[in-house]
Amino acid sequence: MKIRCLLALTLVLSLLATPLLASEVRQSLTEESTLAQVVAKNKLRIGFSTFVPWAMKDKTGGYTGFEIEVAKQLAEDMGVEAEFVPTKWSGIIPALLTGKFDVIIGGMGITPARNLKVNFSDPYEFSGMSIVANSKLAAGRSSLEAFNDPALTIVARIGTTAATAAKKHLPKAQLRLFDDEGQALQEVLNNRAAAMVSSQPFPEFQTLKYADKLYLPLAGKTFTKEPIGFAIRKGDVDFLNFLNNWVKFRNADGWLQEHYEYWFTTQDWKARIE
Amino acid sequence: MISTRPTRWSGLDTILLLVVLGCFAYLAHRVHSGLDYQWNWQVIPQYLLRYDPEAGWVPNLLLRGLLTTIRLSFWSLLLALPIGLVCGLLRTSLHLFNRLLGGTYVTLLRNLPPLVLVFIFYFFISDQLLPLLHLGERLNAAPGWLQTLLGRTIAGPDQIEPFLAAVMTLALFEGAYIGEIVRAGINGIESGQWEAARALGMRRWQLLRHVVLPQAFQRMIPPLAGQAISTIKDSAIVSVISIQELTFQGMELMAATYLTFEVWMTVTLLYFLLTYSCSWLAGRLEVRLRKAYN
Repeated sequence: MKIRCLLALTLVLSLLATPLLASEVRQSLTEESTLAQVVAKNKLRIGFSTFVPWAMKDKTGGYTGFEIEVAKQLAEDMGVEAEFVPTKWSGIIPALLTGKFDVIIGGMGITPARNLKVNFSDPYEFSGMSIVANSKLAAGRSSLEAFNDPALTIVARIGTTAATAAKKHLPKAQLRLFDDEGQALQEVLNNRAAAMVSSQPFPEFQTLKYADKLYLPLAGKTFTKEPIGFAIRKGDVDFLNFLNNWVKFRNADGWLQEHYEYWFTTQDWKARIE
Repeated sequence: MISTRPTRWSGLDTILLLVVLGCFAYLAHRVHSGLDYQWNWQVIPQYLLRYDPEAGWVPNLLLRGLLTTIRLSFWSLLLALPIGLVCGLLRTSLHLFNRLLGGTYVTLLRNLPPLVLVFIFYFFISDQLLPLLHLGERLNAAPGWLQTLLGRTIAGPDQIEPFLAAVMTLALFEGAYIGEIVRAGINGIESGQWEAARALGMRRWQLLRHVVLPQAFQRMIPPLAGQAISTIKDSAIVSVISIQELTFQGMELMAATYLTFEVWMTVTLLYFLLTYSCSWLAGRLEVRLRKAYN
């Protein structure tokens, strides 16, 4: 009897206490800017997801890629340590909003829909969508319009701007979405899908690798141009201002351009992965 | 009961075995000829173990993922067993309130998909509770030996909060199933045993502790072993909240190298080795208990 009275009491009390705790946490969060917190903790936590060649696991179990170098440089310029938090792309925005890390540096394209949920910095690079197609199933098609065909199956990675671009530019084709690019490409290689929409340089690299099965219908040209920015939580002016000016600063001294060229126009980094 | 009769091998068994092997060989041939895929097995071993010039042989991505899976399953199961025991006792209690409490818990958790549960728990519930403890910062401030010890047994300072959220979610989820196993075990004890214990003047708690639970536990071993194996397999679900266990590491590796089939097959094999050794242990335990009681 005693035990059950105690149990009932704890239940009631814990129910009463939760809103108090939650509001306290929220208050302390809004009072301090991420920038101040990062400097105080001497640690910048970066959320990202694997995208070749933006961010990848290397063969030593660490991370490498264009975004990783950008993140490391950003942390260095802030005078803090970078801590990488690999996150699944499908849940990366909720993870940012619930404070699992401070900033998304993961090749995230700036879109109005995303911007309603998060704040974006000025773009630090631009990427564009292209198509890689199966030589057998999509033979002879060499323009974007040719792929807008109900008979064709198009694949893309779920939750990416590639999926949005496919919906927008190829509304008639059947779209199938996969959790990662490797699975999506496998569908094209197995003759189950005619083509895949993905940001450059993925289509180009894969066509080099599987020259006998794949081809580039748009001859490597992109059909969209997307700004890529850092994503942070809403209501943090200080941090946003810092990031914007960092982008301006690193653009002006040519650091961003130089690193972009290394990762996107060469394949010298391949040896780090395999 | 695991059969103890001697096994006999007849001609029919040989034929059946050959048929099964033939089916596998045909499937392998079909996959090999029909699938457009460049196999590349030689890069896989380095993702299990790699040679570091300074530290010698160290576990790489996939083995580290396997170790995380083992840690995750171990702690979840350790937490789930007491949760399940309490839940089973509540469900078989004489008081309506207790029965309702246990019943609500089981009904809620058994009727929600684990994936949904993991998401809700991780983004809403654990978010309100865990940050209050400031575990990450406290661990960072802890002495080095403690950090190493916890890193080996639970998780490092940067991973501790999501890891604990995952452990709690898995434990609550598996606890509901274990609760039902416990309830079935308790209800399965013959009424004669209860009456005999009461005739000796035992209180309910004594009766459970000395008469019912020991016998029930022996009967619970096979389903509990099954639930332990389920826990290992269900731990793959927490890859959606980016816990770096085997499935997550495998997926990250596939996204980086596009070695889809090689990585999935390696991951499958690692899971199988883990779960099969658990099955074997459970079988041994069952035989030993039966010898002890008979």
